Amino acid sequence: MKHSRLPLLTTLLVLIFFYLPIVVLVVNSFNASRFGGTWEGFSLKWYAQLWSQDEIWQSLRNTLFIAFGATAVATVFGTTAAFALHRFSSRLQRFHYTLIYTPLVVPEILMGMSLLLLFVALGAQLGLFTIFLAHVTFCISYVAMVVLARLQDFDFSIVEAAQDLGAGWWTAAWRVLLPLLAPGIAAGALLAFTLSIDDFVISFFVAGPGSTTLPIRIYSMIKHGSPPLINALSTLLLLVTFVLVWLSQRLTEEKNQT
Amino acid sequence: MKQAHKIKGHELLVTAPSFLWLALLFLIPTFIVFAIAFKPATPLGGIGAGWSLDTLRSLSNPNYPAIIWRTIWLSFATTALCIALAVPTGYFMAKASRKVRQFLLLLIIIPFWTSFLIRIFAWKVLLHPDGPVKRALVFLQLAEESTSLLYNAGTVLLVMVYTYLPFAVLPIYAAAEKFDFRLIEAARDLGAKSLRAFFTVFLPGIRRGLMTAILVVFIPSLGSYVIPDIVGGPNSEMIGNKIAQRTFTDRNLPHASALSAFLTLAVMAPLVAMLFLQGRRGKQAPLIQEDA
Amino acid sequence: MSEFLEFENVSRFFGDVRAVDGVSLSVKKGEFFSLLGPSGCGKTTLLRILAGFEHPDTGRVLLDGRDITELPPNKRKVNTIFQSYALFPHLTVFENIAFGLRVAHRSRDEIRSEVGAMLKLIQMENQAWKKPDQLSGGQKQRVAIARALVNKPEVLLLDEPLAALDLKLRQRMLIELDIIHDEVGITFLYVTHDQGEAMSLSDRIAVMNCGKVEQMGTPAEIYEAPRSSFVAAFIGDTNFFEGTVSEMIGQEYSRLKIDGFPDVVCFNDKQLRVGGPVFLSIRPEKFRIARDRPPGDCVHNAVAGRVEDVIYLGHSTRYWIRVHDFRIAVHRQHSRFLLDEKAIRWKDEVWISWHADDGFMLERYSESDESLMETPPEALGVSHFQTAAAENNDHQPAK
Repeated sequence: MKHSRLPLLTTLLVLIFFYLPIVVLVVNSFNASRFGGTWEGFSLKWYAQLWSQDEIWQSLRNTLFIAFGATAVATVFGTTAAFALHRFSSRLQRFHYTLIYTPLVVPEILMGMSLLLLFVALGAQLGLFTIFLAHVTFCISYVAMVVLARLQDFDFSIVEAAQDLGAGWWTAAWRVLLPLLAPGIAAGALLAFTLSIDDFVISFFVAGPGSTTLPIRIYSMIKHGSPPLINALSTLLLLVTFVLVWLSQRLTEEKNQT
Repeated sequence: MKQAHKIKGHELLVTAPSFLWLALLFLIPTFIVFAIAFKPATPLGGIGAGWSLDTLRSLSNPNYPAIIWRTIWLSFATTALCIALAVPTGYFMAKASRKVRQFLLLLIIIPFWTSFLIRIFAWKVLLHPDGPVKRALVFLQLAEESTSLLYNAGTVLLVMVYTYLPFAVLPIYAAAEKFDFRLIEAARDLGAKSLRAFFTVFLPGIRRGLMTAILVVFIPSLGSYVIPDIVGGPNSEMIGNKIAQRTFTDRNLPHASALSAFLTLAVMAPLVAMLFLQGRRGKQAPLIQEDA
Repeated sequence: MSEFLEFENVSRFFGDVRAVDGVSLSVKKGEFFSLLGPSGCGKTTLLRILAGFEHPDTGRVLLDGRDITELPPNKRKVNTIFQSYALFPHLTVFENIAFGLRVAHRSRDEIRSEVGAMLKLIQMENQAWKKPDQLSGGQKQRVAIARALVNKPEVLLLDEPLAALDLKLRQRMLIELDIIHDEVGITFLYVTHDQGEAMSLSDRIAVMNCGKVEQMGTPAEIYEAPRSSFVAAFIGDTNFFEGTVSEMIGQEYSRLKIDGFPDVVCFNDKQLRVGGPVFLSIRPEKFRIARDRPPGDCVHNAVAGRVEDVIYLGHSTRYWIRVHDFRIAVHRQHSRFLLDEKAIRWKDEVWISWHADDGFMLERYSESDESLMETPPEALGVSHFQTAAAENNDHQPAK
């Protein structure tokens, strides 16, 4: 493949493929025309209209609320899971690993369905709380995998050195392990946060009437609503994502420099 | 021995939180899905008492085989296309300089983190009858005015490839990065042509990345719901659509449950096969390595 | 009598592998004691058992009379220099050194003065605020030493500390370690596979192989009186000879019959019986080499041979002399000015001789140990034992 242009061309093709729809979306959000087929002049009117859509902001509040909560819980549980998987290698851990790893590969619809049935069987009220529970469930696996990868690169002789110098296990963890793992844990938390904000299918299945998250609202807008508003909203969300991704890359870079 | 006992206690403590949570909210619900498939439905959309085989009988609906077949071949096609595109891309990225590589990685990750609903919607806009792509194709006389780019299996395939491609690129790139390219030089030194070296040295060398990529594209594809729902038409329904339809439109949970159980089995089969193959080679390392 | 540090019948098994197999040894207070051996011989495991990171399956560890076997590592007055140094990357040099003192809740003034004294000892007062990734290999090692010593441990454990350094730096650090040991006076337990390090630094050495201690003694005892072919070959170079006792000469000497040699007189290092087998180890520097036959006497042995290989090193020359089936390695120091005499060259007929006291009788011999030497016979030719073994295999197929 040394002289072949194929890899380069494919990569370029893939990148164009990735960004074409996004570019069209962003451009159209400033398009005064309603139908995006023709350009009718630059306009911010869709953004203005967006501003007054209360249901959208309410659903955004719900989404953020759930995301922060679910991230917090999932980060703690995911980190402890990563520790257990890294440090121990019993049969229990092999089963534990399967339990952690499977949610990453099963289709979301299965997870949504099974959680819905669980809540119905328990007679639980569907609402923001059930969405929260669902989000924690799939986020744990992602956090665990990220932190586990960091643990595998971690030089544990440092912890032994701390113990050798007089620190008990907890002191060593507090003074040495956690400060050095913090960037990795933060990266995992960021991933969980992004996944929670973006989740549609699972949230859709376990949401109750009146408990809408932003993705659910977007979905109903797509099905029944006004396309230009979605364009504007999408552009805003893209901007936020850019910032989050940039932050996450900075965190991983800083870790690489230590 | 005292120390062995201590370790056990620590281990249980650290394992418990995640283990219990996932057992209660992931493992058990999976079993519940199978159980509810055997229960009757109530007219109001709840689950009736007692057990019944009605639901199982409903699985012999004549429409289902077509849907199942379509789901499977669409997932296969998506996986094949994703791999075909991801391998040269991963190869290129792995051989590129560090700066280019980081830049490309960022470019690939960004769409992956963007709201996927929005990206699907973007395609709906792009392929809209009055949209730019249609107009360009008509202009180039590659399409009729009456053909619709939307709402068919082709569209679904396109958007599925679009959605799952980053999932394929990342593990293949990760494996290609670890690949020692001097092996290809050695192969060519021994007389192999580039293409042969590629197939006999490079591809086996990134085998684990390939397996991961196949896994993270094929299995979620089987359960696709939103994509056929938004850009697909009545002729491009997949199992996911039917499950959603039974749940929300028909309000028949046991039916939906039966379909979900079926999908679960279909999904478990390649997973179990993969884990079995991995176990036979005796490797302990995880098959998937997430790197966010 | 109990010493300062005692290992009593310590074993550690990993499944079927006996990493440490019934090791008993004692270390004197203030001693520089080395555990020397090839990779996998158990020396690092033994060290970790003392540090508290491994728990022995049998036996006990006693420090200053106290049984510390069950104590966790943070409660032992023992500190370790790790092979990778294991400096805390997020802490400065000062904080790294201060770590143990902080954990022990010492006062700020105490910490400042003790750490300051350590920085002075390792001559890094100006680098106190640097982070480990800004330090060179040698500096990291000194910080690791300071970090351990500041806690005034009863024993300092060093796990191959010089392995990661390049040759010149290693030689400098060897000297520095020696100086630090003399200044501080603490008992050092040093683990290495490098015989040069062990010999130059240690008061006593324990040579380990396959989880057991093969021999323990001062460097001179280990070198001059190896009890097994493993110890003889692992440290320095040597020649192995197999013979039978033909007669005893008084209590102290015996006459041996070695294939291809005239009768050899040898000092008795062990109990012998006439007709029994003997394995001799003679170090290359113990031979005299000359063109003419040396005057014979009852305590010198002489044998004629031909020079097969010569390597001139300036201060010395190494010869390999063929005598019958043997390739004998000889090291000759040039203690006199050399240019005037005719040098001994390849294919010359020479006489080599040695004093009866200079051969050493081994207690255990194993042919595979020959490959441990720097220039094993196979590398340059065939040893006597290989041909003998080949003949044996022809007659006895089973092993």
